[in-house]
Amino acid sequence: MTRVHVDLERCVGSGSCEMLAPDLFEVGDEGVVRVLRPLGGDDDLALAQDAVSGCPTQALSLVD
Amino acid sequence: MDAVAVPGSSGPAAPQVEPLDLDHLDLDQLDLSDRDFWGRPPVERHAVFDLLRRERPFAFYEDPEVPMLEPGPGYYVVTRFADLEAISSQPAIFCSGKGAVSIPDLPADLSEFYGSMISMDDPRHAKIRRLVSKTFTPRMLERVVDSVRAIVDDVLAAARAKAEAGDGTIDVVSDIAAPIPLRVICDMMGIPEADRAMVLRESNIILSGGDPELIENQDDPLTAVLEAGIAMGALMERLAAERVENPRDDLTTALVTTEVDGERLTHQEIASFFILLLVAGNETTRTAISQGVLALSRYPEQRAAWAADPGLDRTAVEEIVRWASPITWMRRTATQDGDLHGHHYSAGDKFLLFYAAANRDPEVFDDPHVFDLARDPNPHVGFGAKGPHFCLGAHLARREIAVTFRALFDQMPDLDVTGEGDRLRSSFVNGLKRLPARLTGAR
Repeated sequence: MTRVHVDLERCVGSGSCEMLAPDLFEVGDEGVVRVLRPLGGDDDLALAQDAVSGCPTQALSLVD
Repeated sequence: MDAVAVPGSSGPAAPQVEPLDLDHLDLDQLDLSDRDFWGRPPVERHAVFDLLRRERPFAFYEDPEVPMLEPGPGYYVVTRFADLEAISSQPAIFCSGKGAVSIPDLPADLSEFYGSMISMDDPRHAKIRRLVSKTFTPRMLERVVDSVRAIVDDVLAAARAKAEAGDGTIDVVSDIAAPIPLRVICDMMGIPEADRAMVLRESNIILSGGDPELIENQDDPLTAVLEAGIAMGALMERLAAERVENPRDDLTTALVTTEVDGERLTHQEIASFFILLLVAGNETTRTAISQGVLALSRYPEQRAAWAADPGLDRTAVEEIVRWASPITWMRRTATQDGDLHGHHYSAGDKFLLFYAAANRDPEVFDDPHVFDLARDPNPHVGFGAKGPHFCLGAHLARREIAVTFRALFDQMPDLDVTGEGDRLRSSFVNGLKRLPARLTGAR
């Protein structure tokens, strides 16, 4: 099942993913992103893909 | 930040420039290092960008002449979106550490004030950035939004009072676009009221690009910029000492008390970071708001559509940032030899990433010269392109812009822009110094 991988070395907490998909991502108090829940279906997958391509620091990727 | 990027050799009296013949542009006759080029109307600037993008995607220019600075070896102008993104997203090959906000390398005393994380590479950059990124998370900003609304309401009320007390006119820049981000960032950093006028004045000098109106002594623009840094540094000293004694819930406290990997930031790092936040927090959002107001006055049908539909907020804000491209460029320097999209480069080569040009690249944007508040998708690089230096304050800026325009529609439907405004003669900031307007509802 596809999930989102976060590279914490790259994440700078810009929050672009949270803006694109607030149900899936949240930048926490530590200043880096958390994935809030597993991807549910095609809608989630599409949102996650937007977030991956929209991440300015290429910190997100999708893994199977 | 752009301490020495631009000061050119032209004197205070701006020569009346002949309009460019846009159908017969001669790239060999145009010099992007000449400050007068940046005083030209936007339509001419973008015509030149279009031509560079098509015909000379890596155009080479000599370093601008800056009094008292050794000219460097020249630089390449990057105007195509794909080239710009490739450079920005490979920070190991195209570094920021040789200087990101200045074409010539900065002398040591200026680096002290302006050598902030914007001109640093990882891993140091990442550590320092993480310090403040906590304060700029979308969730933290939700708490700031209410105060942004109050600030905007207050500023607009004061502007209306001024118009009504006077002849019905205001200056969109000094009465609306400047005070809003100034108050927001000063609140976040805990700058006392009494120091804010100074912060605005020195920020203007630091990002003046050597504009003669802001820097009187044209033979020695560096000293004015250096003195502005010293004044800001002195403010930081005072506040830092107070915050160590009495920590508060503000950014300045975070800067002076937080440890990164067990070490405090150095005095120099704190000073330059403090200046970066103040200057970046002020000048960029001001430019987006003032250029946005100007654009809406030129495209009244777009203005009407947005005013009627808050659902447009998200795309409208992005289009304003694309259209305004408040920061025109940042610099990167090659750390090794290589090839990029057919262009051979050598270690030490300097590249200026022209966000303003990439944001009108027809390969990426349909009808790039059309101002379309519903544009979606809009993968603009107005906050920087992919890479570790993407704008830290992007969310704050988006909030400030959205709240400001909604308040303008609600509270100032009678705002009538009466001129084109005075452009800052800077290659680095697409600023307006003044934008005259009238409140038709004022007596």
